[in-house]
Amino acid sequence: MNWLNFHAPGAVAGMVRNGSLTDHHPVKKAPRSKPVDHDWTALMSNETTLLKDEAVVAESLSDPAWIRIRDLIYQVSGIYQAENKFYLLVSRATRRMKVVGARTPREYLDFLTARPNRDSEMRNLLNEITIGETCLFRSLPQIDALRKVVIPSLAEAKKKMAFTKLRFWSAGCSTGEESYTLAMILLEETQGSLKGWTFEVMATDLNDRSVAKAQEGVYNDYAVRNVPPEFMKKYFTKVGSDFHVADTVKTHITFSRLNMLDDSKMLFMRGLDVIFCCNVLIYFDGKSKTRTIQHFYNALMPNGYFFLGHSESLFGISEKFRLVHFPGATAYWKSGEPTSKAGTP
Amino acid sequence: MKTETLDRLRSRIVKIDSMPAIPVILRPLLRCLDQPAEQVDMDRIVELVSYDKSIAAQCIRMANSALFMRSMPAETVRSAVMSLGMWRVRDLLFSNSLSKVIPANRWVVDPAVFWRHSLGVALVCRKFAEMIEYPDPEKAYLAGLLHDIGVLVNCMVAPEEFRAAMEKATHEQIPLDEAEQATLGFTHSDSGRILAEAWKIPSDIADAIELHHQIGDPERGGPLVALVHLSDLLCRMRDLGYGYYEPRQVDFASEPGWLYLILKFPSMAEIDLARFTFSLDEYAKEVSDLVATVFAG
Repeated sequence: MNWLNFHAPGAVAGMVRNGSLTDHHPVKKAPRSKPVDHDWTALMSNETTLLKDEAVVAESLSDPAWIRIRDLIYQVSGIYQAENKFYLLVSRATRRMKVVGARTPREYLDFLTARPNRDSEMRNLLNEITIGETCLFRSLPQIDALRKVVIPSLAEAKKKMAFTKLRFWSAGCSTGEESYTLAMILLEETQGSLKGWTFEVMATDLNDRSVAKAQEGVYNDYAVRNVPPEFMKKYFTKVGSDFHVADTVKTHITFSRLNMLDDSKMLFMRGLDVIFCCNVLIYFDGKSKTRTIQHFYNALMPNGYFFLGHSESLFGISEKFRLVHFPGATAYWKSGEPTSKAGTP
Repeated sequence: MKTETLDRLRSRIVKIDSMPAIPVILRPLLRCLDQPAEQVDMDRIVELVSYDKSIAAQCIRMANSALFMRSMPAETVRSAVMSLGMWRVRDLLFSNSLSKVIPANRWVVDPAVFWRHSLGVALVCRKFAEMIEYPDPEKAYLAGLLHDIGVLVNCMVAPEEFRAAMEKATHEQIPLDEAEQATLGFTHSDSGRILAEAWKIPSDIADAIELHHQIGDPERGGPLVALVHLSDLLCRMRDLGYGYYEPRQVDFASEPGWLYLILKFPSMAEIDLARFTFSLDEYAKEVSDLVATVFAG
C-alpha cells in the first residue's frame, strides 16, 4: 500500500519523537557488525557503480549505522529487515539518501531522527521499502497457512456452532490485489473441502481512488505474476494486455471507503474470522496503532486471526492477541480462552 | 519411552553391530571445546583440522569464498582457521565428522537437509540461550547440533522402516517422531539416547536428545531440553526443518517449555519473538552456506 493513499491525519506525527535508538533493543543483543573504514564521499560521487558493484555494497552493509536505521524502522513500524535482505534496505535507503542529500548512513540517520521533517522522511523511507509489494498471491506462506491451517480450524470451530459462513476483511485494501486473492482462495475452498459454505470479503481503504480502482479488478501482467496457472485460467480474462477479474470473484467482495481512525465507523466492523492489514499500520503512530488494533480485536470472532505483512510485527502493542507461527508465516490469534499473562511473547 | 522398549531397542542395535562408531575427531574436539572461548587452544584446533585432508581443504575453500575473502587468500590451514574463526571451524569439523559416521550410501534422509536442520537448531539454541542469559550457550549449541543424531542410528539400524517413516511423515505432513512410532515402534529420540550413551555424551545433552519431542515434565529435563525443544519447533516453522510442510499452528507462549523457561529465566519475558522469528532467515542463509561448503565435494 502506498502511503499517499492513506493520509491519516496526525498518524505519523510523533513516530520518531522519542528517537532513542539503542536503549530499547527488543532482541537483547545487537547483531554482530564490524565497523569498517569507508570513503563514502568517493562512493557517492560515483553513484552509478554504487549498487552494481557487489563488493562495495557488501562492504557498506557492515556500516553500523545501517543496523541503527534497521532498528529504528522496526521500532517505528514493526517491519524487520533481516540481515540477508540488508542489500534491499541499503539500496532503497540509498535512493532516499540521494534525494535528501545525505552522504553517509550516519548522516541519513540524522535526517530520520533529528531534522524537523524527520516524520515525513520516515514515511518516505517506509514507502520506498514497501514499494512493489502489492501483487496478487504475494505471500505464499501466508496463503498456505490460510488454506492448510487457518480455514480448516475456523471451519471446525464454526461447524460446532452450526455456522457455515466465513467473513474476511482486507483492511487497507489499496487497489484490491489482496482482497481478490482472499476471495479466490475462499472460492476454491468452498468449492472443495468446504462445500455448502458461504463467505464474504469486506475490503476497505481510506482513498476513494484506490477503492474505485480496486472495484474495477483490472491488473497488468506484473501484478498477476504470482497467480498460480489454475487460478489464472479460472478467475481471469485477458483483455488486450490486461487481466480482468471474473465476476464470480467480484460478487463476493464489498469494497468501501473507511478511515480506520474513525472510531464510530470501526465500531460497525464485527463478526469477522480473518483480518488482513498489510503494510498499513506501519504509517500509524503508537497511539493510533494501539486503538486500531483494539478495534481489530473487537471485530474478530473468538478464534479469529489477524495477519500483518510478512515481515511486519505488532512489536508488543497488543497483549490480547497471541502470536502464532505457521510454516514460514506468523499471525495474531484471538484465542477462545483467556490469555496467560506470563507467557506473552 | 518405556524402559523395556528402550532395552529391546538397545539389544537390537547391539546384536546387529550397527551402532555407528564415534568419529575419531569428536572426543578430542569435545574436550578441546569444553572450556571458555578465550581458552580454546588454537594450535590444537589447527592440528585437528589438519588431521583430515578433506576437512582441511574445506576450511581453506570456505576461507577463500567470497564471504570471508580478505586481502590475501588463505593458503595454510592456520590462516584459514584464523579467517573463519574458531566457531565456524568447529561447525565444519562437527558436521563433517558426523557426516562420515554412516557411509554415504546408507543415508535415508538427504544429508544436506539433515545438517541444515541440525546446524539451524544449534544456532537458534545458542541465540536463545544468550537472550535468556542461560549460563552455557555453547552447551546449548552442542545440544542443538546433536539433538537428532538418532536419525543416523535409524539409517543404520532400520533403513527400510525408517525410509517408510520419512515417507509417511512427508506424505501425511506429520511430525517425524509420530511417523517413526507408527512404522518403527521407536523414534530417533530413543535411538539417539542410546547412541549418546554409547558415545558418552554428557547426560544433560543426552536428555535433550531423548526428550526434545516429548518434553513431558520440563523439571525433569531442565532448561537444555526446553531450549532444544523450542528451537527445533522454531526451525521447523521457519524453513529449517526436514523439507516438508507441517500444517500446524504453534503458539509458543503456551508451550510447556516456554512457560518453564520464563519461570527460570526472567529475561525470557523480554524476548520479542516476532523479531527473533524474522531474524531466523539470516540463520538460514548462514547455515546454507556452511552446508554447501561441507557438501561441495
